[in-house]
Amino acid sequence: MAKILAALAGTPNVGKSTLFNRITGGDVHVANWPGVTLQRAEGKTVHHGIEINIVDLPGTYSLSARDIGERVARDFIVRKKPDVLVVVVDATSLKKSLYFAVMALELYTRVVIALNMIDAADKRGIHIDVDGMEAKLGVPIVPISALKGIGIGVLLDRTLDVAQGIKTRKELLKVNYNGLEPYIYKIEKILKNENALNHYPRIWTAIRLFEGDEVIVEELREEKPELLPKIEALKEKARLELGEDLGRLAISSRYSFIDDITKSSVIEVRLAAPSFSEKLDRLMLHPLLGPIISAFVILITFFLIFAINTGFPLNLLLEYAGYKELASLVEEYSLSGILGSAFDLLSSGIKAWMTSIGYSGWTVGLLADGIIDSLGTLISFVPLLLLAYIFLGAMQDSGLFPRAAVSFDSLFRKFGLSGKAFFPAALGMGCSVAAVTSTRAMDDDRERRVTAMTSPLIPCQARLLVLLTIASAVSSDPLSQSALTIFIYVLSFILYLLTSNLLNKLVFKIEYAPDLLMELPPYHRPSLRVVWWYARSNTEHFLRKAGLLILGLGIVTWFLLNFGSLGYLSGDIANSFAAYIGNILSPITSLIGLPDWRYALAFEVGFVAKEGLLITFSSVTGVSDPVEALRVIGLTPLKGVSMALAMSYYVPCMATVAALITELRVGRYVLLTILMELMIAFVLAATAYWTGLMLGFT
Amino acid sequence: MDHNQGLVPLSIMRSGQRGRIITLNVGRGQARRLMEMGLLPGEIVDILSNSAGPIIIRVRDVTLALGRNIASRIWIEAM
Ligand SMILES: Nc1nc2c(ncn2[C@@H]2O[C@H](COP(=O)(O)OP(=O)(O)OP(=O)(O)O)[C@@H](O)[C@H]2O)c(=O)[nH]1
Repeated sequence: MAKILAALAGTPNVGKSTLFNRITGGDVHVANWPGVTLQRAEGKTVHHGIEINIVDLPGTYSLSARDIGERVARDFIVRKKPDVLVVVVDATSLKKSLYFAVMALELYTRVVIALNMIDAADKRGIHIDVDGMEAKLGVPIVPISALKGIGIGVLLDRTLDVAQGIKTRKELLKVNYNGLEPYIYKIEKILKNENALNHYPRIWTAIRLFEGDEVIVEELREEKPELLPKIEALKEKARLELGEDLGRLAISSRYSFIDDITKSSVIEVRLAAPSFSEKLDRLMLHPLLGPIISAFVILITFFLIFAINTGFPLNLLLEYAGYKELASLVEEYSLSGILGSAFDLLSSGIKAWMTSIGYSGWTVGLLADGIIDSLGTLISFVPLLLLAYIFLGAMQDSGLFPRAAVSFDSLFRKFGLSGKAFFPAALGMGCSVAAVTSTRAMDDDRERRVTAMTSPLIPCQARLLVLLTIASAVSSDPLSQSALTIFIYVLSFILYLLTSNLLNKLVFKIEYAPDLLMELPPYHRPSLRVVWWYARSNTEHFLRKAGLLILGLGIVTWFLLNFGSLGYLSGDIANSFAAYIGNILSPITSLIGLPDWRYALAFEVGFVAKEGLLITFSSVTGVSDPVEALRVIGLTPLKGVSMALAMSYYVPCMATVAALITELRVGRYVLLTILMELMIAFVLAATAYWTGLMLGFT
Repeated sequence: MDHNQGLVPLSIMRSGQRGRIITLNVGRGQARRLMEMGLLPGEIVDILSNSAGPIIIRVRDVTLALGRNIASRIWIEAM
């Protein structure tokens, strides 16, 4: 089958992902662009017997290579030379989104323009003379709606046309640069005579040099440094003659070109102000109401996610209301309940089968408990991760998240963060892995690192579960139970802000938070398709990257728990290496009032996954109800508070560590994060414990 | 020529006001980024909201949130 390579490009929010998903039907491969934490999605479709491979380029405002995204997109076009570049523009804001298209047409000839959101444009009374625009831009323009699936077939027809050289431009688009042309031609000629920077189109390179493109200047410095002074002299001359900053001249020339097009080809029948959007914005962007509404929406959403995943707090509510059976049903049929029983079944089935064919001892244990259980742990992350990503996707897609970032900006700024630091914090309440990976959305690299390091301090849902168990073990009064829980959460947000501030100052030496500069897309109902695709591909991506690591750590932990100096222990955990380590650590844990190797052991296991902490107490006491187990082991209210603090803030789980490794990419920062978490947990728990002792608690 | 005559920084404009961008008083890289996002001298901006936090404007059919620091460096001629 004949194959072609197409790339999708465009400004953020023009519907690129939606179109990509629509064309490929969600059958995609997600990975990172080499060397950077920037997601790269690739997929394919077959159209008229030709296989179209599609790469989704990062969404950027231009192709100036001023940040990683722009550089990746540009390099791909220049070096990979796709058969077709599909540039997506937004029909409802052509004045803005055509800028990218113009830049693309100055760089590349084999272009198709997808005029997206044509449904929304129709609704708002925006009429576009597509033929007129085609004549001006010289490439096929296809009105489509990626959301509704309109025009996709025609878009693919034109894509194949362009790939075969039909209907493409013969040469690059020329914008009227208002007097800069003679200079552009001079530089073009120099480049030609000297045979410099041959992998770029020459005119384009000349224009970029006038705009002060640092990447191009750098490449020229490596290739032909002797040309730089000549070029500088020409630039200086042009600046003097034209009396204007050349970068500004170039950008405003492109915009004038766009204004010419929109003036003659776009007619807005009525100025349809999206009034609903404006009214909602008056609330969402209110300095006081905004943050409150955002926080409220997020709490409700997590309440729902948690109920789906674990049954809590629906089960408790039902129990209070006297529906005990229904409550346990809810628990059993929650996602994690179902997964848990499935893996229990699998593990005991394998055990029975292996024993029946004559295996015994540690091989059975390794396979059934070590490997299968670790797989179970890995899989048990999936619902939470998936739900957290669905939540993130829906909030982003609806337009709520950017507003939340705006409304939190003033508060966060006091701690050296921008409002965007709100995303990882919100997601952290679902899953720290999702929180850490969500920091990719930040455009400031240092802020991205800082928030990846501090967002795991916010208790995820697994930790909430353990927290609630501790609270119920030390008190039967719902009021003090919730007081402890809320205290831990409030403290975690304070810690998030304070530690970020400290890291900013001490490690990254940032004085001020990066200034907010972001687009607020119009509100709309999130598209299920888009959200599901986003959640699925992110979850898969994480499992592929961190799966092996988690599995490996799980097996190591199994070994530590099941082997001791006497060899394989078959269940006698008290003689295991893990218990031995626990014994070594217990002097430390005794400083926070938990003077027993069993606590230390639980914290070790809690590193694999926080639920493991509870399972450990059950297995060392032989009491299956974790609340009861904690009581048996002698947890007093004071010790409970200390344990809650330590548990909530120390390293969340190995999956988070795996995420930190893949996102931070600098071992030093990962270590620093772990040390910081251990220290915060220890200091807070010790402070609480010793203060409590002095106040007369035990 | 007195550049500041009749000009005010975007950050002190009130909600509902409209103005024309005259200069961007920021570094070169930042200026180009802003211009590529449509904040170009000569463009007309509508101020949608301006209270404590970032200022919300509409320019070239797009709604943007701008930090106060940037906004105080964008000089506007009120209309
Ligand atoms: N009305 C309408 N909305 C659309 C259409 N295509 C996409 N959208 C919506 O526009 C928003 C942006 O779409 P995305 O696909 O996330 O945009 P993107 O260009 O990939 O943006 P980034 O992910 O930020 O790069 C989403 O909320 C979509 O649901 C369309 O054809 N019509």
